[in-house]
Amino acid sequence: MLKLENISKKLGDFTLSGISMEIREGEYYVLLGRSGSGKTQLLELIAGLNDPDSGKIWLDDEDITFKKIQSRNIGLVFQDYAIFPNLTVFGNIAYSLHCRKNDKSTIKNEVTSIAKELNIGHLLTRFTHNLSGGELQRVALARTLITSPRLLLLDEPLASIDASLKDDIKKTFRQLNKKGLTIIHVTHDYSEAVSLATRIGVIHNGRVIQEGSPDDVFGKPANKFVARYAGIRNFFRVRFSKEGLLWKALSDTKLALNLPEGNYPDEGLVIIRSNAIIVAGEEPQQKAGNCFKGVVKDISPCEQGMELLVEAAELFYIEVPMNDFKKLQITETSDVWISFPSEACIVLNGGSV
Amino acid sequence: MSRNSPFNWILLILSSLVLLFILAPLAGMFLHTGGSELLETVNDEEVRASIWLTIWVAFAATFFFAIGAIPLAWLLARKEFPMKNVVLGIIDLPVVLPHTAAGIAVLGFISRDGLLGKAANSVGLTLINNPGGIALAMAFVSIPFLINAARDGFTAVPERLEKAALSLGASRTRVFFTISLPLAWRSIMTGFVMMFARGMSEFGAVVIVAYHPMVAPVLIYERFSSFGLKYARPAAVLFIIIALAVFILLRLISVRKKETHILLDAEA
Repeated sequence: MLKLENISKKLGDFTLSGISMEIREGEYYVLLGRSGSGKTQLLELIAGLNDPDSGKIWLDDEDITFKKIQSRNIGLVFQDYAIFPNLTVFGNIAYSLHCRKNDKSTIKNEVTSIAKELNIGHLLTRFTHNLSGGELQRVALARTLITSPRLLLLDEPLASIDASLKDDIKKTFRQLNKKGLTIIHVTHDYSEAVSLATRIGVIHNGRVIQEGSPDDVFGKPANKFVARYAGIRNFFRVRFSKEGLLWKALSDTKLALNLPEGNYPDEGLVIIRSNAIIVAGEEPQQKAGNCFKGVVKDISPCEQGMELLVEAAELFYIEVPMNDFKKLQITETSDVWISFPSEACIVLNGGSV
Repeated sequence: MSRNSPFNWILLILSSLVLLFILAPLAGMFLHTGGSELLETVNDEEVRASIWLTIWVAFAATFFFAIGAIPLAWLLARKEFPMKNVVLGIIDLPVVLPHTAAGIAVLGFISRDGLLGKAANSVGLTLINNPGGIALAMAFVSIPFLINAARDGFTAVPERLEKAALSLGASRTRVFFTISLPLAWRSIMTGFVMMFARGMSEFGAVVIVAYHPMVAPVLIYERFSSFGLKYARPAAVLFIIIALAVFILLRLISVRKKETHILLDAEA
């Protein structure tokens, strides 16, 4: 339904270059990237706030690259909400209806109904200076949704919302999407992407570097940058070599990893998820594809339990569930055995960022 | 820093001296003017007419020039264009010119040989010694105040708000009147009051364009040069009182808008 073809735009020192992507009807597309990666600029190009230097934007097979912002029918909720401070909540939500010269009773009915739907019915007569972030967010959302946009663009919609309200807002977004509204959501937080997206695009330095379902993107990250996003901290720069039928990866510190079958380039990056590694106090009887002896260098609490830093030729970050950690009875400087199957070694394409 | 530090004392003394320098001559003038003299001046038809003329002409000049100055201020706040700095310099020019020189320039423009003078003549108007000419002279020297204040006001309005309004389907004109203008309103009003006050107090440029009809500053000067200080003082005092009253009134009107907002908020 929305198609970007080779979009480029220079903004000061920053350049969006050669961006092509397609958003399908009814999708919840999350564009994931660090601040400064160009994701907000891309949204602004789609919404028509800026014009691209080259490339084309198609909406429902119509070329809207230079179409007037007012007639695109694309709703944009700004990161800072861009609420009009000189108008009441009612005035803000009704703004687009006034532009369309609707009569007073229609405006009143529509505003009241959408405000009720978003739980801000009680705020309608208020001015906006002392509303909370969550309330402003809902006002901004109501103000945009009342235009019945063909496509909804959300710029970091959860960035300045209290953690306790995030789930509520996410639910609202999911419901809107379920009702058929196509959404493009821009964020730097991969957990938002995982919990909301039907498809994810990762943008870095003005380029989309990977696109796919959350499973695809986080299961098989295309490069180190995407992998970092997925919370992966074990990266090893390696040279690949074949010994008999088996492929091995050798790091500079002589760590030798056994790899699953496949074809490998000469050198590249291997990643191993922190939760794919098993720690044992004694040498395991049945060894997995990879098994090394190491020393615990550091222990710190993490979301899933404890995170161990183990030195075994290379430094490995390992997440251990709390129960398992208690059973291990280890302290810093303890000797441990770490093991993981060869399938846990994920080779990144090209091996570089 | 302690309350009684020498630094604080020096600050206090220097600030008081500056304030005294402003207030003392004014206070002296007020104290030297007796109630009966003032009453006599109030009853003087010529004085009343000149004060009224000054106020309405300054107001009209500000009002009509605001129609062009405010959009120009928006343009300067929002758009980048070649030679923008030159344009900004031109706008500030009247402030640095000697006002009599400004008067000569305006006179050349509106005299029978001048561009505007010819145009006015063709419809049977003479701008010299006419309120129209006075308004032009006032506007010439005071319009930078309005343009600059309004430009600051528009610059302070986040551009995202205008873009948000556009994306909600509003036309450019609608965005200007419903978002940009209301949000810059306080600065514009400040500029309006300053332009008005500056226009009202203008002597140099106005006296060259129109000695008659006499605006208050010209009348005060005329009384001083013909009859002396004692005779000019009551007129000056009266003019100051009325100018101050108008000034405070306009200030109140521009501030009230914000207060209504806060009041409404408190009620909600």
